[in-house]
Amino acid sequence: MTDRSATRDMERSYLARRYDDDRFAWTRTRRVRRRLVVAEAVLVTALVVVTFAAAAVGAERGWLGWPWTVALLGFVPLHGLLNLGIRGLYDRSGSTIDEHQRRLRDESYIAVRWPATFLTLGAVVAVYVAAWMGDAPRGLMAGFLLWFLAILVPYWHLAWTLPEEA
Amino acid sequence: MSRRPRSEADIVYNRIAVLRAERDVTRKDLADEVGVHPQTIGYIERGEYSPSLALALRIARFFGLPVEAVFSLEPLPPLSETVYGRTG
Repeated sequence: MTDRSATRDMERSYLARRYDDDRFAWTRTRRVRRRLVVAEAVLVTALVVVTFAAAAVGAERGWLGWPWTVALLGFVPLHGLLNLGIRGLYDRSGSTIDEHQRRLRDESYIAVRWPATFLTLGAVVAVYVAAWMGDAPRGLMAGFLLWFLAILVPYWHLAWTLPEEA
Repeated sequence: MSRRPRSEADIVYNRIAVLRAERDVTRKDLADEVGVHPQTIGYIERGEYSPSLALALRIARFFGLPVEAVFSLEPLPPLSETVYGRTG
């Protein structure tokens, strides 16, 4: 690999160009990144709570349709902005990021490996317990949310801890 | 939570900002030449990231200086004293 190969890859990749676009520099301040993390965490946590609460009180399954639709519609733009704020480090090809960016990404992944592991195990347990109790669809919803949280925590850690750009 | 080097011993001091200013090189110019993101040059200049040996060597090669003239484990004296042999 030559010195410039990483740069050439950056120039070739549409995603890399989008994540490095200066029009979105406002998403890369620490304050905005942390607000996006809080907003996303509140949204997903609220959905988890609502899903478990609905199961606990025995609400009709169809009742969860609206909260899920609204939350996921809100999540898409929020996560898009969060990804711009972290320059898409988890979504880009490794060849379009440099050694420092790779290190930041890997450190966050390692920092949250245990919470992410427990959330994934929790997802499996939720599905099994719900299926055992005869309510597999709700178990799948709860399991999906916990698994989804496990995927999101490295993004949140990275967005929260990234140094201010200058 | 912090991303700075873990201890004083991990800090690598450098003269990149001075050398860039002296030669009128932008961060982007340097970053493009050594194959990293311009923000990474900023993190190195501020001592928030210690580059790999390969990157340090590429940066030193870009400036045409020995690596120890650009990077050091000790705070660096003015360039004029050490590299150019001037003291005044």
